[in-house]
Amino acid sequence: MANLMKLEWRKLKRLNIVGEYAVYVAVMLFLPMLFARSVNADFGQDYATITGLIVSMHLSYVLFGASLINQVVIDEFRNRTISLSYGYPIPRRRLFLAKALLISLLVFAGTLLSFVLVGVSTLLLDESFGFIGEELTTGAVAGYVAKAVLHSAAVAVISHIPLFVFGVWKRATIPAVLIAIFLAQFQNLSPLLGLSLDPVLTTAALCLLGLLSAFAAISAIERFGDA
Amino acid sequence: MKDIVHTTGLSRTVKGRKLVADVELRIRQGEVYGLLGQNGAGKTTIMKMLAGHIAPTAGEISLFGQRLTPSSKSALSRVGSIIEYPVFFEHMGAIDNLRLHAEYLGFYDEQAIAQALELVRLKDAGARPVKEFSLGMKQRLGIARAVITKPELIILDEPTNGLDPVGIKDMRDLVRMLNQDYGITFLVSSHILSEIEQVADRIGVVSEGRLTTEMSLEDIAKQRTDYIEIATPQAERAAYLLEHELGIASLKLLGGGRLRVYDLSRSQSEISRMLVLHDVEIEGIQKHVGTLEDYFYHQITGGDRIG
Repeated sequence: MANLMKLEWRKLKRLNIVGEYAVYVAVMLFLPMLFARSVNADFGQDYATITGLIVSMHLSYVLFGASLINQVVIDEFRNRTISLSYGYPIPRRRLFLAKALLISLLVFAGTLLSFVLVGVSTLLLDESFGFIGEELTTGAVAGYVAKAVLHSAAVAVISHIPLFVFGVWKRATIPAVLIAIFLAQFQNLSPLLGLSLDPVLTTAALCLLGLLSAFAAISAIERFGDA
Repeated sequence: MKDIVHTTGLSRTVKGRKLVADVELRIRQGEVYGLLGQNGAGKTTIMKMLAGHIAPTAGEISLFGQRLTPSSKSALSRVGSIIEYPVFFEHMGAIDNLRLHAEYLGFYDEQAIAQALELVRLKDAGARPVKEFSLGMKQRLGIARAVITKPELIILDEPTNGLDPVGIKDMRDLVRMLNQDYGITFLVSSHILSEIEQVADRIGVVSEGRLTTEMSLEDIAKQRTDYIEIATPQAERAAYLLEHELGIASLKLLGGGRLRVYDLSRSQSEISRMLVLHDVEIEGIQKHVGTLEDYFYHQITGGDRIG
């Protein structure tokens, strides 16, 4: 499976992916400071609050997942290169499992790395501009690391929500991206709509949807995946 | 020779429409099998099923004695294919495309990649991204990809589509060479009948999703519909004279003052001389040499074949 994932990775326009990822990271590096200094100083009242802000920001990597679904799945159908894969002595389910795992791995690793970079940059910027209202503690760092790992995993799973319907079945890039934008933002915007969502339950529900979508994409690939 | 491809009741139905129905196909090891049919007849669908791109909705495929199913595709490691047109990861170089293909098949041989590129005269273009290739180059690269792992069967769907005359000849020569020198079995489809005629040992005619006829080129040659057609206002008298004066029995009155002579034991000049001697007015006389095209036309239109 690792070998199949490696081969999937080699097919991709890797520079585009790295470039897109670099843009996400570059934007995020300064967002915590921007929010704490320019939007509302409450964001910087303590490490728990700024960590919450960084976690919310990182839901945006669902969009990175949608972009990967586009390259790894939709483009292969559109360019008909998927027929090459089907000509190999490898069952379609294994091929699509490799694709789904690659997307998961890239989103997870990308989100986690971003958590690290944004965490470090926030600390360094705080050194210079002082927008966090408490001293850094080991507990705050441990809490940040735990949330980074947990939420990176959650984002990787949630990213699969568009996979079945818009990746394998409809093969439609724009709806896949729009769904991802919605998923990335609706938790943050729900208070504006008067909705009170439990963040843990909401994230768990989205993870379940992501898992179901990935499962459906792989198990129904014989039916929906013709080139 | 043993059959390396054997299908039984091979069918593919999509949204109630039968694209392929009950195809019983046998391809022998070492032969070039030509698949003929009009556009939409079902050739590509048959090839896609054989190459594992799509699954049949009914029937079975056996490749090299192994059943091909969605979960058991190991026989495909012995098959190379280009279906419809050669597709590549266009942003990647030719060598990278070949390397990727070889690795999917668990085949790691850099020398084989270089040899395959040399075989199709693309050695100098190996590093260039495929998006810069012409269609002819892509077709050749497709062949290189198909042969790189030394498959025993190569499936080529309309391999000369879009090629210029030089490219067509190149492709034909390549198929011949790989068949004769390497013993690779080919399944080739084309609507350019003269192309098939020049490479195939056996031909199957596909019409409305069904394999209607299978024949060797030798058999087809025997059944060629050569005839002499005479245009005359006295067609019935001419027929009588041909039968009684020249002993020609195989002929047909077509109506509209036309007569066809299928018994070619008498030459065109003998026939005209005799008719002129008997004061039969001849408006036209022409020998028609039947081609595979005629045969094919009769097969797919259901016309009577005349031997």
